Amino acid sequence: MQLPSLSELNLGLTVPALSLALWACILLVIDLFIPRDRKSVTAWLAAGGVVFAFIANLLVYRDPGVAFMGLFVADEFAGFLNIVVLLTAFIAILMSVDYLKRTGIERGEYYVLLLMTTSGIMFMNSANDLAVVFIALELLSIPLYVLAAFRAPEERSEEAGLKYFILGAFASAFFVFGAALIYGATGSSSLPVIVDAVGRALAGEGSSLLLLLMGSGLILAGLGFKVAVVPFHMWTPDVYEGAPTPVTAFMSVGAKVGGFAALLRILLVALPALTVAEGDAVAGWQTATWVVAALTLILGNIVAISQTNIKRLLAYSSIAHAGYVLMAVAAAGTPGVSDQATRAALIYLMAYMFTNLGAFAVAMAIEKDDGSGTSLDDFKGLGRSRPLLAAIMAVFMLSLTGIPLTAGFVGKWVVFQATIEAGLYTLAVIGVLTSVISAFYYVRVIVNMFLEDGEGDPAAAATPYVQWAIYLTFAGTLVLGIIPSLVTNLSGPVALAVASLVP
Amino acid sequence: MEFNIHSIVFLIFSVITLGGGLGTVTSRNLIHGAVYLIVSLFGVAGLFILLSAPFLAAIQVLVYIGAIAILIIFAVMLTRSMTRMTEIYNRQWSLSLVVSALLFVLLLVGIILPVWGPGTANAALQPSELVATTVDLGVAFVDGNQFVLPFEVASLLLTAAMIGAIVIARDRD
Repeated sequence: MQLPSLSELNLGLTVPALSLALWACILLVIDLFIPRDRKSVTAWLAAGGVVFAFIANLLVYRDPGVAFMGLFVADEFAGFLNIVVLLTAFIAILMSVDYLKRTGIERGEYYVLLLMTTSGIMFMNSANDLAVVFIALELLSIPLYVLAAFRAPEERSEEAGLKYFILGAFASAFFVFGAALIYGATGSSSLPVIVDAVGRALAGEGSSLLLLLMGSGLILAGLGFKVAVVPFHMWTPDVYEGAPTPVTAFMSVGAKVGGFAALLRILLVALPALTVAEGDAVAGWQTATWVVAALTLILGNIVAISQTNIKRLLAYSSIAHAGYVLMAVAAAGTPGVSDQATRAALIYLMAYMFTNLGAFAVAMAIEKDDGSGTSLDDFKGLGRSRPLLAAIMAVFMLSLTGIPLTAGFVGKWVVFQATIEAGLYTLAVIGVLTSVISAFYYVRVIVNMFLEDGEGDPAAAATPYVQWAIYLTFAGTLVLGIIPSLVTNLSGPVALAVASLVP
Repeated sequence: MEFNIHSIVFLIFSVITLGGGLGTVTSRNLIHGAVYLIVSLFGVAGLFILLSAPFLAAIQVLVYIGAIAILIIFAVMLTRSMTRMTEIYNRQWSLSLVVSALLFVLLLVGIILPVWGPGTANAALQPSELVATTVDLGVAFVDGNQFVLPFEVASLLLTAAMIGAIVIARDRD
């Protein structure tokens, strides 16, 4: 029997993801030799690994290809999402350095686990086989469960870790059951092979079509849990509130990127034929994502209004934002609009990444060492004591609302445009209306900062790393929002990315 | 069905499996229950051998008896307050009876229909052609054409899980 040589495997294409995973393992050993009071060295080494992977990704993604005989695709779609994820990881590390120290949970394993989950997301961006998607999904999730409980034995953190773990295990089981059913219906776990089998199933045998529909439904549920869309969102507020804030910030973006990457690739590469019913009574995934997106937008935005804690508020807001990305996914179900809608989803994810990380970074600066100080009342008077910080937070809030000149506006603009192009007018109207509703709770944060007087001055930790994280995300939010030419330039590679995905 | 050595062995292993399973759910002592479970799992391993699946039988012994059953016993020992619990804990036994009866019927139908139901003549019960032997299974894990990537990533995943378990479980200092 003939095993392929290393060059046939195209190992070079996997360097960004593999190098990060390998570096995580090496860092685990190096960390043993770093003295307890100097763990920020580990943070810098971890950040160095992220930067290396970032550069490697920029080099690889110019020259796309397939590695491991089709299991792993390094195309522009994956390259673009890798950029988003690696930026997220870098900013999360910046946010963590001081936070871990002042809350007394500074341990080297934190950064190792962060790198591992990042590499899991990168594998997920590139996965072209249901088996790889599943393993990458687990590599994404398991370190996140642990990171959510990193403040143990503090009770809320333990609760967060346990809740996330148990529900996440259910979601993984859903996913793997769905993958098994699809394998049973099509005889392959490779996405490009599945698409042919789906065509055959639609043409003839009814029993495997039922299996396919059940399988894709279960996969939708499993990934829907990871990206926190209604009705799979129950865990989100508790986990986001209990987890250490930098971890919350990371998972609010990273887990969503991984989940949507897998969702888009599975739906568009393997199951494009299952989009809409044509003549017969087959309900396709466009209908399913349409309904889920609408529910998510309505519930996420309305429940967010009654929140009094900034982390819970941002949790519901992140549910709502997953709904906007899912709008784009639903729009991608209309054949002619697939690439425009996918592009919209990618741009939205990048805009959301900068804004949301920034909002969490400011919330973290306000947070006290014991984890309290995250109530909305704690923002009162911030405009007087820390005007610059308050002004930046105001911009983040406006960007989350989708006000022009911010990244959030650009994201929402392209998503609504794609939804209308796809003919999903009701969904577009729901999106616009819920955006208006969302203004209510975002603006309330601004009102609290500038127009209300607090009992005491909010004690914002003015540590340099957090400030860098805030400035970096602030710059990203404004640059994406103000300079439209950059967005058009950006959509060049994104368009390529989409072309690589949509057959 | 003719009566031969094969069916005698099948009968023995079935009795071991079912008896062990019955012992697991009826035993009031959790440790005894765990031991009965091991007996039952051993019987399943025997059934796998009868089905000409020695690899699955070995895995059954190694993983289920060697690892998972031991894990259960550890868990029972660590939560000792529950070990001697003798009164009936579950007050909704009528509901659980209905659910388990439904599940039993479902499984029974699922097994009987494909084998003895209508249209079984063309449903050839051939061993899967994708994974014919244990050798194929092993090669699939290391062959670059097949599943070497998920296999390697799985090892990374296990490392992450192990680090995570230690981070969570170790004593704070």
